Amino acid sequence: MSKGREMSSSSFLKIEDLKKSYDGVNALNGIDLSLDEGDFLTIFGPNGAGKTTLLKIIATLLKPTSGVVAISDYDLEEHSEEFRNSVSVISHQSLLYNELTAQENLRFYADLYDIEEPAGKVTKLLKLVDLYERRNSKVAEFSRGMQQRLSIARALINEPSLILLDEPYSGLDQHSSLLLKNQLIKLHDDKRTIILVTHNLTFGMESATKVGILVKGKVAYFKQRAEIDDDNFDETYFKYVGGKTL
Amino acid sequence: MKILVSIAASLFLIAIYMIFSYTPTEAVMGIVQKIFYFHLPLAFTGFFSFFVSFICGVLYLVKKDSKYDVYGATSVEIGVVLTTLVLISGSLWARPIWNTWWTWDPRLTTALILWLIYVAYLILRMSIEQDGKRASFCAVMAIIGFVDVPIVFFSARLWRTIHPVVIQKDKIALASSMKLSLLIAMVAFFALWTVLFKLRTKTLFLNERVKRLNNKIL
Amino acid sequence: MKNIITIVKKDLKLEFRKRESLTSMLFFGILVLVILNIAIGIGQNIAPSISGGILWVAVIFAAVLGLDRVFSNEKENRCIDGLLLSPIEPETIFIAKMAVNLIFMIIVELIIIPIFIVLYNSSITLENLPMFIAIVLLLNIGFSAVGTLLSAISSGTRRNDIMLPILLFPILIPLIAATVKATSELLSGSPVEKYSQWLYLTLAFDLIFFGSSYLLFEHVIKEG
Repeated sequence: MSKGREMSSSSFLKIEDLKKSYDGVNALNGIDLSLDEGDFLTIFGPNGAGKTTLLKIIATLLKPTSGVVAISDYDLEEHSEEFRNSVSVISHQSLLYNELTAQENLRFYADLYDIEEPAGKVTKLLKLVDLYERRNSKVAEFSRGMQQRLSIARALINEPSLILLDEPYSGLDQHSSLLLKNQLIKLHDDKRTIILVTHNLTFGMESATKVGILVKGKVAYFKQRAEIDDDNFDETYFKYVGGKTL
Repeated sequence: MKILVSIAASLFLIAIYMIFSYTPTEAVMGIVQKIFYFHLPLAFTGFFSFFVSFICGVLYLVKKDSKYDVYGATSVEIGVVLTTLVLISGSLWARPIWNTWWTWDPRLTTALILWLIYVAYLILRMSIEQDGKRASFCAVMAIIGFVDVPIVFFSARLWRTIHPVVIQKDKIALASSMKLSLLIAMVAFFALWTVLFKLRTKTLFLNERVKRLNNKIL
Repeated sequence: MKNIITIVKKDLKLEFRKRESLTSMLFFGILVLVILNIAIGIGQNIAPSISGGILWVAVIFAAVLGLDRVFSNEKENRCIDGLLLSPIEPETIFIAKMAVNLIFMIIVELIIIPIFIVLYNSSITLENLPMFIAIVLLLNIGFSAVGTLLSAISSGTRRNDIMLPILLFPILIPLIAATVKATSELLSGSPVEKYSQWLYLTLAFDLIFFGSSYLLFEHVIKEG
């Protein structure tokens, strides 16, 4: 359970004063964030703002220098295994083995996560992302868009309650991007909590329930999607994310 | 710092005086035996250096404080220099006495393998850009390298008992005057080690500060 | 544990799809055997005290090639993150990768050793076979344990293909020396008592380095 801090139990994900410095750089300088279950948070921010670092910490790939991260009051440090069981990551790297088939890849992850009835689960997911016909093809033969779809299937293997997406749209053509966007909407409908990091303003804004902008390791802007005026937001976005002002 | 340097310098002067004037020349080996007064302290301080890097490696992995990485790396650097001198002095000693440039005596063999292990450490250090990764990897290498030392020594020993060698290097009778010179030489070398350690770590810490300031500006 | 088997099966499957590693390991090992035979003098009878060393030089050089692959197939598409994101512990990855390397080594040895016996006219009889197998296994375990740890380190550097032998070989010297000594004695027909202390040394090496590598692996595979 949490380390003696007062946590509001209505929050699903709670991040308090999260700091991370490494290699002489202060990547995160005190992040405070809270999400309810079922939220879809889109995070924008210039390069080097710390967005990937933040996601990596939540995914347990990096250890925080200080601060608290908790899901449903389970603190990251003490419950690393539970975190990994309920969190999934989709990034521009597919995390798939090129020489294995789609089915073999999913089966591998199903076994790793100790899924009950793995064969059935794999089939179900392949059908969900529309890759069942190509289940016996090697990932090396897939297009980028198909790899991304399979990556989504991989991320759903463990029925995650929190899905982290690190610039999933990068490198995708328009068609695949639309497909991905629709997939994300579907995921969100399934009551999963989602954090999306992207540079794609349009797609990022579409499904969001909360929007944040990270600059230099701090949350510079954070609002409920409903409160954002679309016309003005472009300005705001470019103010924080746009080119450097000298 | 200046005091330390002058202490080390004077110790060295005293040591050199004692080695060459105070102690008598050894009967069997002649003046060449004087190398021994350098060779042995070099070996001890070299070994000590690697021991320090082992401890620093462990401390770094536990505490993740980059100062242990700096201390550890410095120790390895000094250790490699000292070990190189051990090998050279051992060789210089062997040639006139036993008419061979190299002996597979356990201590010299251990020194050679240590040299290889820690030079590899330095090569590794040069090939990683990211500080955190470099520190972790080097800490692991420092630990693994040192863990190997007893095994290396014992296998070299074992080899020797199976191939008895005519060289009886360890059976040098040490007159008390020789023991005193040796002791002074030891202390002198440890003082030298401390001077080198402080100088080098100071440089490395300054490097880090410069890097951090650079990052801030950019 | 189940997870170890999952990862081992996956790695074996990957390897047998293309067989890059095994083929190059095998070929290189045989090449070394042949070249050294020529270098020492064709037609000359090579004494067991020397041929013992040659066998292990060939095996070690071949094995290093295989070790390289152990983590390079996780670099593609950042699959290593896939493993780290899952609920398994880093130690599981270590044991799995070590097991994979052990299996590769044994497969390669099953072919290289008979070729060695033929090329170097060596006498491995049914009598000394059990001890010979013990020697081989002890070397394989020590090699794979340290090798897996160091392979994880070298695959994190820029010059990873040359980095691995540079880091690995010095550490392995006592293991190789003891193995060569034991093998030479065995090939010369000596009784077990004569070389048993070398075997104890390899056993000590294996225990110490398996333990250290197992404990240190986590620091090498995970980022800060």
